[in-house]
Amino acid sequence: MTTAPWQTAPEVTAPRRTSPLVVLVHTITFRQARQVVPAAIPVVAAVGVDGPGVVVGLVLAVTALSLLFAALTWWRTTYADTPGAVVVTRGLLARSVRTVPNDRIRGVEVEAPALHRLFGLVRVRVDAAAGSVTGGDEEVVVDGLTRAEGDRLRTSVLTHRRSGAAADPSAPPLPEEAPAEEELARFDPRWLLYAPLVASYLAVPLAAVGALSRLLQELPPGLRPDLTGPDLTDTRVLLLTLVVALLLLALGAVLGAAVVNWGFRLVRRGGSLVAVRGLVTRRHTELEVDRVRGGTLSEGLGMRVVRAARVGALVTGLGAANRRGQVLPLGPRGEAVRLLGLLVDDPGPLVAHPPAARRRRLARAIGSGLVVTAAGALLTAGTGWWGLLAAGVVLTVLGVPLGLGRYAALGHAAGPRSFAVRSGLLVREQTVLQRRAVVGWQVRQSLFQRRAGLATVVACVGAGTGGYAAVDVAAADVGPFTEAASEPWATAGGPEG
Amino acid sequence: MSAPPAPPVRVPAWSLSRSAIWLWVTQGVLGTLVYGVLVAVLVLAVPASAGGPVPLLRWLLPVLLTVYAVVAIGVRPWIRWRVHRWEVTEETVHALTGWLTRTWTLVPVARIQTVDVTRGVLQQLYGLASVAVLTASSQGTVRVPHLEVAVAHRVADDLARRAEQVRDEAT
Repeated sequence: MTTAPWQTAPEVTAPRRTSPLVVLVHTITFRQARQVVPAAIPVVAAVGVDGPGVVVGLVLAVTALSLLFAALTWWRTTYADTPGAVVVTRGLLARSVRTVPNDRIRGVEVEAPALHRLFGLVRVRVDAAAGSVTGGDEEVVVDGLTRAEGDRLRTSVLTHRRSGAAADPSAPPLPEEAPAEEELARFDPRWLLYAPLVASYLAVPLAAVGALSRLLQELPPGLRPDLTGPDLTDTRVLLLTLVVALLLLALGAVLGAAVVNWGFRLVRRGGSLVAVRGLVTRRHTELEVDRVRGGTLSEGLGMRVVRAARVGALVTGLGAANRRGQVLPLGPRGEAVRLLGLLVDDPGPLVAHPPAARRRRLARAIGSGLVVTAAGALLTAGTGWWGLLAAGVVLTVLGVPLGLGRYAALGHAAGPRSFAVRSGLLVREQTVLQRRAVVGWQVRQSLFQRRAGLATVVACVGAGTGGYAAVDVAAADVGPFTEAASEPWATAGGPEG
Repeated sequence: MSAPPAPPVRVPAWSLSRSAIWLWVTQGVLGTLVYGVLVAVLVLAVPASAGGPVPLLRWLLPVLLTVYAVVAIGVRPWIRWRVHRWEVTEETVHALTGWLTRTWTLVPVARIQTVDVTRGVLQQLYGLASVAVLTASSQGTVRVPHLEVAVAHRVADDLARRAEQVRDEAT
């Protein structure tokens, strides 16, 4: 075994403190002092706030308190990155020592919120895999490092982790000191125009409006702006208001998407995929290529109209995969498909599910409508009130496109090195996984599925949500599919005889 | 509908311990006793003259209790015993369970992470133990309830040893 460069380099193992500047950041954000707020409110209420002197005194006291807490926290927090583990010690009175062994580290994220950037600081999150059963994750946060120290910590942790993995002969060659960067994707600001059609971005301005109206309610009457609402009885005013509201909503969605995704870049650096994004808070996520098992292409209802999509990588042992695994937060479908192809081989075109699956989707979609219709019919016969009957009929009719849409989303495919399953109406998710990702199969068959000759096949995977289902596959296809989509052991699942 | 469709998967060969039936019967008896006490309290404590649904409940609840007792003691244990199947082969562990909805789980030995053997209070009474075979996926768990203790331990040891030998780090 040759001596790797990091083993000869002087190892930093002594505990270190974060940058003292973080005290200022935390004083401003009341990070530690926040917890005394519940205790402070009754005190303030008892003393009473009258006169500007008291207010100034109060502000000074709170700031001093915040400074004290921040300084104490800074003084009592140390971190160390040893060759074997990352150790973070904290706690004012009760000391806590978090030790994360390097072989459990799944990724390192460096983020720089706006205030941190002002002081040239970053926050480093070290992700560790938790037990396999809970599926949860743990993370260790080191807040308030200088940018250079943050980068050093990230590189150091990742290098240590790879040195541990180097014993594995199948591991890829170790990256060079300064590995070449290969840009895989770059965010085009025009893609922000997709945002108004994405539910999660639309929620941002709606939440803002909600918060604003709450705030207005809380204001004392004297300060409340005296707004007279527009006269909504006039149709033209009503239409205009609606149009303006919709435009504002769309603008808010675009702004929200811009704040989160601005300057998104995905690069491959050595054995890692590095994603950087964010306007105010720069987020820097690193995924190990070796642990990528596949990807999910999701398209919401609105996104499908404009052929937009997002892609997330499925990485073993990565917690909060929805946020951290994002490989393309929002973009045209072609770009999404291209990136998915980089993560995992394309298994070929999807196979549609049998007609029995369509009948089953339809039956499930109109079932509730039929029940309401039946109840409504009884009610109409009994009391002559037809409201429920009408609602039931509408529900039933709406169920038809719903069921057909759900059926259209179903599909599966098995290629030479990977396989895919797809489902979902509101958010259509196509998950493509490597064959080696499968750690087990689960086949479910309800009474109705048995009669229709269908079955649901779940590929159990140690990444993402843990299981990806092909819903309502023909029962005869279950054996061939499981065999084609994983290694030979799945042959045991073939049909009897 | 044509002839009864063949199962989409191979039915595992082995069944659980016969003692499992008696354990489920005991559970049924205990459940019946608990519900019986509740029903008795209700019937005895609430006067029949009380309005509302009370007169109806006074005879409906005992009937429901009887039905529950027959199902839980006389029928369910035998059905459960018939529908739970399991098998360990050269390469895999699989189990089939469920009566109306049948669920079949298959895990390759190479991807096993841990094998748990647990014994509840009632299980100890009947000399039984449950085996859970866990993988990196939260959904890929094969559970075999109520095996004889010796069998459970032998299976767990065997699987753990073989998993160690052929462990596949890919997860």
